Amino acid sequence: MKKKILYILLFALLAVMLILPEYIAKMPYILNVFILAFYMTTMSMAWNLLGGMTGQNSIGHACFMGIGAYTSAICIVNFGLNPWVSLPIAIIVTALITAVVFSQCFILRGPYFTLVTIAFAEAVRQIILNWDFAGKAIGIGLPYVRGNSWLMFSFRDRTIYYYVAFAMMIDVYLVMKYIDNSKLGFALKTIREDEDVAAAIGIRPLKYKVIAVVISASVSAIAGFFYACYYRYIDPNIMLQSSSVEIVLPAIIGGSAFVEGPLVGGILMVSLSEYLRNTFGGILPGINLILYAIVLIVVIRFRPTGILGFFDRRGRE
Amino acid sequence: MSNIIEVENISKSFEGLKAVSNVSFYVEEGKITGMIGPNGAGKSTTFNMICGYYPPTSGLIKYKGNDITGKRAYEFADMGIARTFQIMKPLGNLSVLDNVASSAFFGRHKAKNMRQAREIAAEILEFTGLISKRNVLAREMGTPDQKRLEMARALATKPDMLFLDEVMAGLNPTETEGAIDLIRRINSGGVTIFLIEHIMRAVVSLCEKVIVLHHGEKIAEGTPNQVMNDSYVMEVYLGDGGAN
Amino acid sequence: MDIFLQACVNGLMIGGFYSLMGMGQNVIFGVMKIINFCHGEMLMVGMYLSYVFYEYLGIDPYFSLPLVALVMFIAGAVFQHTLITPSLGTKSFTNLLFLTVGMGILLTNGAQVIFSSDYRTITTDYSSTILSIGPITVALSRVVSFCALIAVSIALAFFLKCTKTGKKIRAVSQNPIGAQVVGIDTKKIYMITYGLGAALAGISGALLTLFYVINPTAGSNFGFRALIVVVVGGLGSISGAFFAGIFLGLLETLVSLFIGPSLRTLVVFATFIVILVIRQNIILRRK
Repeated sequence: MKKKILYILLFALLAVMLILPEYIAKMPYILNVFILAFYMTTMSMAWNLLGGMTGQNSIGHACFMGIGAYTSAICIVNFGLNPWVSLPIAIIVTALITAVVFSQCFILRGPYFTLVTIAFAEAVRQIILNWDFAGKAIGIGLPYVRGNSWLMFSFRDRTIYYYVAFAMMIDVYLVMKYIDNSKLGFALKTIREDEDVAAAIGIRPLKYKVIAVVISASVSAIAGFFYACYYRYIDPNIMLQSSSVEIVLPAIIGGSAFVEGPLVGGILMVSLSEYLRNTFGGILPGINLILYAIVLIVVIRFRPTGILGFFDRRGRE
Repeated sequence: MSNIIEVENISKSFEGLKAVSNVSFYVEEGKITGMIGPNGAGKSTTFNMICGYYPPTSGLIKYKGNDITGKRAYEFADMGIARTFQIMKPLGNLSVLDNVASSAFFGRHKAKNMRQAREIAAEILEFTGLISKRNVLAREMGTPDQKRLEMARALATKPDMLFLDEVMAGLNPTETEGAIDLIRRINSGGVTIFLIEHIMRAVVSLCEKVIVLHHGEKIAEGTPNQVMNDSYVMEVYLGDGGAN
Repeated sequence: MDIFLQACVNGLMIGGFYSLMGMGQNVIFGVMKIINFCHGEMLMVGMYLSYVFYEYLGIDPYFSLPLVALVMFIAGAVFQHTLITPSLGTKSFTNLLFLTVGMGILLTNGAQVIFSSDYRTITTDYSSTILSIGPITVALSRVVSFCALIAVSIALAFFLKCTKTGKKIRAVSQNPIGAQVVGIDTKKIYMITYGLGAALAGISGALLTLFYVINPTAGSNFGFRALIVVVVGGLGSISGAFFAGIFLGLLETLVSLFIGPSLRTLVVFATFIVILVIRQNIILRRK
């Protein structure tokens, strides 16, 4: 019975989200907040596959997204390729780089792995900063196209970006939900809990960790492609460590053990944070991040399993 | 009866310190074999080498006639070898059912989907007497249940050969009886069992053959009765172990 | 040759700060096995404390050093006791990591709200004094700060080696359960340890103020380098952290000199990854 009500509510919410642009199309700022929230949530879900589900805490996801964004931008601008050709190239490049680097780095466990992700992200950012072809510190601007062009993935009408971002988020959520209930998901969760147990029941930890990071990085690359096409300008600052941290926060606040965690945390926190930035940003810059940090600390202190932990019924029966 | 496990002269040194030296024995298929010895005798080291947790410094381990010495831990489940851990390692944040379902996905059941994996898991929980706790988080269970979960998880890989590392430590007499009964039932289902145990009563009532280790060397082998009456065993094991 | 010597001296000076930061991080990592992600931000807080003492109370940065250390120690101990210790119980490394991350965000943005993101400096009557030894020139304040760093490092090593509390800290870092068994109050040690780490970061910050711009993100450069120092120098090794810090400082300045300043960070970080992976491979091989 309860489940039925939940489903009805969810469908209502989905319907609201779908017709919302009709009403906010004239308010570019609010539209932008939603698009940003969808994008951040997608990134947070990508992180959660590796961090929440596999237990490998990365603080370098902005770099995966950055590799995706840069590969797309370089393909589109420098090589003159169509965005739809650039996207798969970006995914493949990101997947390959992460597979090669992390198949070596996954022998490091716990804090050491986190350190490597930080160093890797910063190293990649430094490479871009020193690479003429990628525009060094200036970055790359994508050409604007007149009107709306699906072929060039450039839209004057921002509501189209809204729908694209929304679809991206929902699709990634469905993929994550599928993984969560699949053999892969069980392998990852077993590895998170204990690698020795995983090996004892026939799971090869390294193989599955690499699979996890490749999927996670590929999703990040898609988000990066979207980011580049939406903002039509990227620079190395998108790969800063602070961006990587911001990607993780929705997952932790929402509850990293749940597939829905980043979704709840992302929508809630990004909209709240953007609202604060808009309202108080002029007087008190950084106020949104202060709130972010306070929510994070309070959640970790009083509800270590995140907001969704309130609704988790397991273990209380 | 053929030998399912044959261990030939295995040794292990940790940074020059010899933990196990030149131990050889075999495990007969379909039977329950035990290994005993005082603390620090090298039981767990031997056990871990056979399970592929780390390789022996020298020596040979054969399973069903094939050399498995250099195999990695994750290759064992597919061959039909399962183990439990002495220090329990429940997948704490997963439910008991999912703990076992994970094994059903891998191991030799190779469940195709979630439903199948959970069905297999439920069957095994029924068998091991944990079915009533299937929705409890594994970390919230007491020691006896976690010990059972270790066995259930190993069992869900559908092994031919099961290694049990002190699955009765920390249990009270009633719980021990329950565990003995469970091990017997597992064995009568055709699974060969090799166990390390401190509780002599369990070893005597379960094992057909016992191997005694001391200071990393095998000092005796035989039926529980033979071993218990061996004067050297009495001296080194029961002598200083007291009431053990 | 002169340039080379000058670079070495500069590297040594900056390396001293990496060392001291690394030592603080090392004590925390050693005892609680967590990365203290706000270590760089604590340095930044130390800088601002020193700035406030100078600007509003007129206390010279070198004289306010004990005050800064004390304030940081108390703040660190309180943070540990109220937030980290309770979370240690959940054994969730993710949560502990992001608890300190959250603290870092709070400190950076708090500083931004209070002091704005303007660059600030402290100018004393001796801050423009330059010492020259042969062809090499060094600001007096750098030399004094470096000497202070060395003194603090030695004091720390002495504290951990010889005092009762120091021994307790080392005991807890080797085996927390064993330490508890012999009657050490681990929660108290956690508080002292984190306070100590915070105080060391604060001291580093205060010593930096005389020749480094003060702004809310000033600590971020030092935070990660402190971690590099801990990992390369070896867990629990104070002398290791000391030499790793100096080595890192020298490596950075020499890479700047010979390969170019823009590639400095890249070389350092790539080297770090390679060192980590190779070392882990060696450790695994030995098993």
